[in-house]
This record gives sequence, C-alpha cells and structure tokens, in this order.
Amino acid sequence: MYEHLDELEAESIYIFREAFNKFDHLAMLYSVGKDSTVMAHLVRKAFFGKIPFPLVHVDTTYKYPEMIAFRDRMVKEWAAELVVGRNEEAIAAGMGPEQGRMRCCEKLKSEGLAQLIEQHDFKGLFLGIRRDEEGSRAKERVFSPRDKNSEWAYKDQPPELWDQYNTSFSADTHVRIHPILGWTEINIWEYIAREKIEICPLYFAAEGKRFRSLGCMPCTGPIASTASTLEEIIAELRVIKDPERAGRAQDQESDYAMQKLRAKGYM
Amino acid sequence: MNLSDSLKIVIVGHVDHGKSTLIGRLLFDTGSIPEKRYQEVADTCRRQGRPFEFAYLMDALEEEREQNVTIDTTQTFFQTSKRPYVIIDAPGHKEFLKNMITGAACADAAILLLDGIEGVREQTRRHAYVLSLLGIRQVIVAVNKLDMVDFCREVFQQAENEIRAFLHTLDIVPTYVVPISARSGENIAAAQGGTVWYNGPSILSALDTFENLRADTRLAFRLPIQDVYKVGTRRIYVGRVATGSVEVGTQVTFLPSGRATKVKSIERWPQGGAQVAGAGESIGLTFDEEIFVERGEVLAPSNDLPIVTEEIKAGVFWLGKRPLQKGETYTLKLATAEGSAVCVDIEERLDSSTLEVIERHAAELHGSESGTVIFALKKAIAADLYLENGPLGRFVIEDNFLIGGGGTVRDLTAAEGSQKAQVIRLDDHFATEPDGNMIDLTRSRGSIEFVVTGRFGDRLAAGERVLFKLRGPKQIEPVALLAYEHNFCFTFSREEDFIALVLFSTAKPATQTAAADIAI
Ligand SMILES: Nc1nc2c(ncn2[C@@H]2O[C@H](COP(=O)(O)OP(=O)(O)O)[C@@H](O)[C@H]2O)c(=O)[nH]1
Ligand SMILES: [Mg+2]
Repeated sequence: MYEHLDELEAESIYIFREAFNKFDHLAMLYSVGKDSTVMAHLVRKAFFGKIPFPLVHVDTTYKYPEMIAFRDRMVKEWAAELVVGRNEEAIAAGMGPEQGRMRCCEKLKSEGLAQLIEQHDFKGLFLGIRRDEEGSRAKERVFSPRDKNSEWAYKDQPPELWDQYNTSFSADTHVRIHPILGWTEINIWEYIAREKIEICPLYFAAEGKRFRSLGCMPCTGPIASTASTLEEIIAELRVIKDPERAGRAQDQESDYAMQKLRAKGYM
Repeated sequence: MNLSDSLKIVIVGHVDHGKSTLIGRLLFDTGSIPEKRYQEVADTCRRQGRPFEFAYLMDALEEEREQNVTIDTTQTFFQTSKRPYVIIDAPGHKEFLKNMITGAACADAAILLLDGIEGVREQTRRHAYVLSLLGIRQVIVAVNKLDMVDFCREVFQQAENEIRAFLHTLDIVPTYVVPISARSGENIAAAQGGTVWYNGPSILSALDTFENLRADTRLAFRLPIQDVYKVGTRRIYVGRVATGSVEVGTQVTFLPSGRATKVKSIERWPQGGAQVAGAGESIGLTFDEEIFVERGEVLAPSNDLPIVTEEIKAGVFWLGKRPLQKGETYTLKLATAEGSAVCVDIEERLDSSTLEVIERHAAELHGSESGTVIFALKKAIAADLYLENGPLGRFVIEDNFLIGGGGTVRDLTAAEGSQKAQVIRLDDHFATEPDGNMIDLTRSRGSIEFVVTGRFGDRLAAGERVLFKLRGPKQIEPVALLAYEHNFCFTFSREEDFIALVLFSTAKPATQTAAADIAI
C-alpha cells in the first residue's frame, strides 16, 4: 500500500532526478546529521545505488570527532566523493563563537559554503532542510534561487506549481534544492527505522543524554534522554515539548536569528 | 487511494478573515505544536505588547509579524486519529497571489475562510476562482469570527447565502459550510456550546471525510519519462507514475514518438522485481527491446492513449512580473515535456475578482490576471484534458528563467497525422434552435470525423437544412466529404469569427426553408 512515507520518498526521488537532469555541477551538502544521511539513502534509491555527485562538508573545525569518524566511514561505504571546505582565513584569524555566535556561523558556515560553491562552480546544491524545523525554512521553495552573493530573496520568491520547479537560471546564480522539505522530524526517524539506515551514534542516548540535532560543539548541546533505540526515539518525539533545534544556541540568539542568517546564505 | 493517506489542505480567504489564526488553532487543538514554540510566540507577543497571536505560529518572517500579514505560503503538519495532514497557509493579499497559488496548487481540499460579519470580499472571490481553476472540488466554507456577534444564527445564514450564491457561479458546491470562531475554537475540533443551532460536523471531522486525490490509481496509466539511466548494460527509464498503474507485461506506447513495446521489469533499489507500480511511485522500467526515447515522452497503455498535440487551449493564470504577451514565444513545461510555445491568442482576459471578461482577443495578460489562452507548440507533446487527467493536463509557462504562470488544458488540437480524430455523432450535436437546426463546431479543434445516423439523414431528406458553425476553413473539408458521401449540397459564407455552412439535400425539392430562416 502507498502510504505517507512512500509518498515522501517518491517525491524526494523525483526531485533528485529532476535536478540531476537539469544541472551539470551538482553537489549535496553532507552535514553528517540524520537528515543528510537520509538524503544519501534517497540519492542511492534514485540512482540505483550510486551517488553521482560529490558530497560537500563545511568543516568549522568545531565538529564532534564522532561526526568526522562517521562521515569518513559512510563516504567510503557509499563509494562517494567527498569535498571538505573550510574558511581557512577566518579559522586562521581565530574565528569562534566567543566572537559572537551569529558572526561565527556567518563566517565559518555561510562564507565557508560560499567559497566552496565558487571554487567548484557548483550550480545546484542539495540541502536537507525541512519545513518543520523552523519558521523561515517553512517558507522555502523546493528549488530556491540564490544570487551570486548566495542571498535569498525571501520576500519575493518565484512561484512553484505542482511538481514543476524553477530549473532554468542565469549563469551568475546557483540554486538550493531541498528534496526533503516536506518531511517532519518524526517522518525522518520512521523512515530510518523502516529502511534500516545507519545513523551517527551521537543520536542514541548514553548516560542519560543524546543529541537531537547535530552541529558544532560549542553551540550544540545534548538533551536529557534515555532513548537508545529507534523505537524509543520515535516514542520520545511523539510526546516531547521542546522544538527540535532547542539545543542549537545560534537559533536562540535573537528573534528572527535564523531568518537573518539564512537570508545571507546560511543553510 | 484511501483515507489512511495524508491529506493536503489549503486555507484561503480574504486578508484578515482569520486564516493564520485558524491554522494556529488546528495545530493547538490537535496538540501538534511543541509547548516551547508556544512559549516563544507568547514571549514575542508580550515583548511587542500585543495579545497572543495564533497567527505568529505560521507567520514566522519578521516582515510578516511587523506588518501583520502573511507574505509567503507555508506548510505545517498535524495528525488526527485518522491520518496525517499537511496544512498550507496561503497569503490573502493580492500582491502575493503567486504565493497563494504556489500553496494551493498541490492541495486535495480547501477551507475557504469568510469573516461572517464582513462577508464576501475581493480576495474571497479571487481565491474561490483560483480553487475552481485548479479544479479543487473538496471545499469547506468556514464562516469565522462569530464570537463577535454572540454566535448569531442570522449573521451566519446571511454569510452562508452570500457565499453559496457566489460559489454557484464558479460551479463550486461547498461540501460543508461550518460556523466557527478560530479564536475561541468553536467547531474547530468540536462544538463548544456557542452554536447550539448547528448540528453539522466540526472542521476536523469534515476534513476526515475528504479523499487524497494526488495519486489516483483509478485513472489511465501515465508515466512521463523523466530520464534514462544506463545501469550496467541496461537502459532504465525512470519517472514518477502520474496516474493509474502498470504491470510487468503491459503493452505500452511512448508518445509523441509512437513507439510501442512491452514492460519487461519494474526497477527499484535496492530490491527489484516488483510486478506492479501505482500512481505516485518513482520507478524505473526496462522494456523487451532496446528503445531510444527521451525525457518528455509519455508512456501509456497502448489502448488508452493521451492526445498528441501542437495546440493547447487553456485556462491560464499569470503571475509573472512582465505580462504574458500575444505573439511572444515562451517555454511551456507539461509533465516532463518542455518546448517553445507561441502565445497565439488571449481569447479572454478576466478580472479574477469579479470574473468579468475585461477584453476579448487581448494583447496581454497582466500579473494576477487570468484568461483563456491558446498556445501553439513548436514540437508536438502528449497531453490530456485537465478534467480527465490532472497531472497530464496542467503546465507552466516560463518567462525570463522563472515560472511566470500556470495553465489547465481545456482543449487540445490533435496534431496532423496523429491517430486521434475527434468523432462527432451528428445526432448528439444536433441542436434544434427556435429558428433552425444548428451544429456548432467552433469548439472542436483538430481533425473531425462524422458519424451519420438514420435520423440525421431522414431530416435532411425531409427538406430540413442544417447550419454548421465552423471555427475555420480546415473544417470545411470533413463536411464536404460528408456531403459527397451522402449526396448533400452546401453553401457557405464567412462571418466575423466563424464560417456558416448550410447543408441540405436536393433529393426532394427543398421547400422554402431558406438560409435566411437560419439563425447565424
Ligand atoms: N474575534 C475574533 N477575531 C479573530 C478570529 N480569528 C481571527 N481573528 C483576528 O483577526 C485578525 C486577522 O487574523 P489572521 O489569522 O492574521 O488573518 P489572515 O490574514 O486571514 O491570516 C487577527 O487579529 C486575529 O486575532 C475569531 O474567530 N474571532
Ligand atoms: Mg495570514
């Protein structure tokens, strides 16, 4: 029977295949988190076991070592190409969250990403953002055009009708493609359980704590939890009262913090 | 198709009639919002010195909250005991119509919100019209803000009458009309004692009766080819099944190329070997013989094909910054096919609020306007009428790299040489007007074949004359052929926007029912 998860999966596969047909220089942002790991699985479904474009990881040097180990192992298992980008200049200048979280995100992530896009001339970038994560992401399109400064014109987005997306762009722009925009956090976990997808161990509770969202060490905290299996995580999420990104310090910096970061090219 | 599927609903209506509030309320009443997010909104409202705004749960952008207006469409999620829901909030403001249509286009059902005190307003009409353009038939009208008039039944009834009368002109019959207060929660999840005089369903129970129509397996099989991958030595044709279903062994035809073959296998990863695939699924297919067709072809059962066409007549809504212009060439995308299309005529340009025809044979269609438009395609594509097959009967027009508008196919001209001629049974088309017999072919496009029955022949033999209204000289030929085969005579004259052809028989001397008697 064709259920909600089947529909989400089929739609995501359709989006990957659309982008693959329309763009030459594609890459997928691989953040090591559950969402991008699910995306990697969907890519392999779309392309019969292959990942036909590079995975891109923006390394802020503040990631948990378990994340880097998991990343390298999975990339090998999938036989994928990995491109790691860092804003070396900002790192050398000592950029860190103590200089302001928003500024740090902007420098190490948004700018780090923009540099990668320029170096490799990527025209289309897959990102695993979801509408239920946070308000400004909820307003996104599936194919979301960016200007040459990576800026998002969120006040004036082009229409997107049915399953027809904006896939023609002038040369000085790139497009962010969001294949799992319509998934919820619970959908992701249900799908991980259904498809038996391997996930970074930090998500599973150890000593009464687990990560619900993965990011940089200084700005991402674990939640109190005893959920150490997929079933327990799903059960926990059904009753939990906090939003998913509550452990992400940059989101809490000010009202509209995410909107402001994202307008300038944050993921 | 079944009720355990998710349902997508769009909430539409005039600015300030309470759309965002209703959504906030639906989320609240179904326990779908994390408490912290509530706190967040409550804190923001307190800091800004205003009462709690449910609307802030949806209106997340700074500009939206500052100006108290929804700018862009959002989707959120909730779950009833029956199934998951996706709710689409659509901006009410005219300026943001493109965002409203973006949201509404993928909905199975709609809630049209109406402020019971203000009644039908400009955007109420425009949004209702968009629903009719998009063919959304599952509609709940929610008459809101009745708390402000102590749930007065007369206020509700007046609003109900007004909206029903208007929707009637659009051929929309609302499935339910529900009196509500989005703010206090009356009849959202359940009645709360305000509307004792109402015994219909609440919004939630009304929604639970609607159907998911996004993947319709009851229609004919259609698979627009999205791409062809070479995997090992095999060529795999990939795509998402638009409608219907397909089995291994089915005899299928690619259109417009006309290549026919049999389905050899249905491919998925990692597990292959499925026997059937249905609407909504993204699959791969292989075929008995090596076939070389490209993206844009449509795969269909050989005995139930779409139409191959070079001319499309459609209801078009224009959202672009620049107007749609007659004579201009655009890119038209229908399913996975795309190609150049000339806008050859804007037959009617409508005011999408009053629905009045502003102009016939217009030169331009402006942003937020809609109309009936004819596109001539450089290369033939396969399509269906929107009413018969939604996914194969809708398209977008690109202008300057971006989607500028959408259309739903009302009429298709079968391309020259394609197998489908329109068969016209003359008895069915026979309209006996007060002043004569008439057959109106001005709406028929493409090649025509006539089926003549005894009755038709008898009437001509009895000396009656029949006026054929033709859309152009191309249609003279099939009528001439009919006359030749049955030994009839005809005369014709060129009128302003059609050709008047009078068919008669000379087998019996014609009595003086002259052409002058015939309505033109
Ligand atoms: N009294 C009353 N006010 C309401 C009700 N629903 C919405 N409102 C108010 O009407 C205003 C506009 O609501 P909003 O949801 O933003 O409307 P939208 O523009 O259609 O999204 C807000 O101030 C709401 O608080 C209702 O049921 N009763
Ligand atoms: Mg609103």
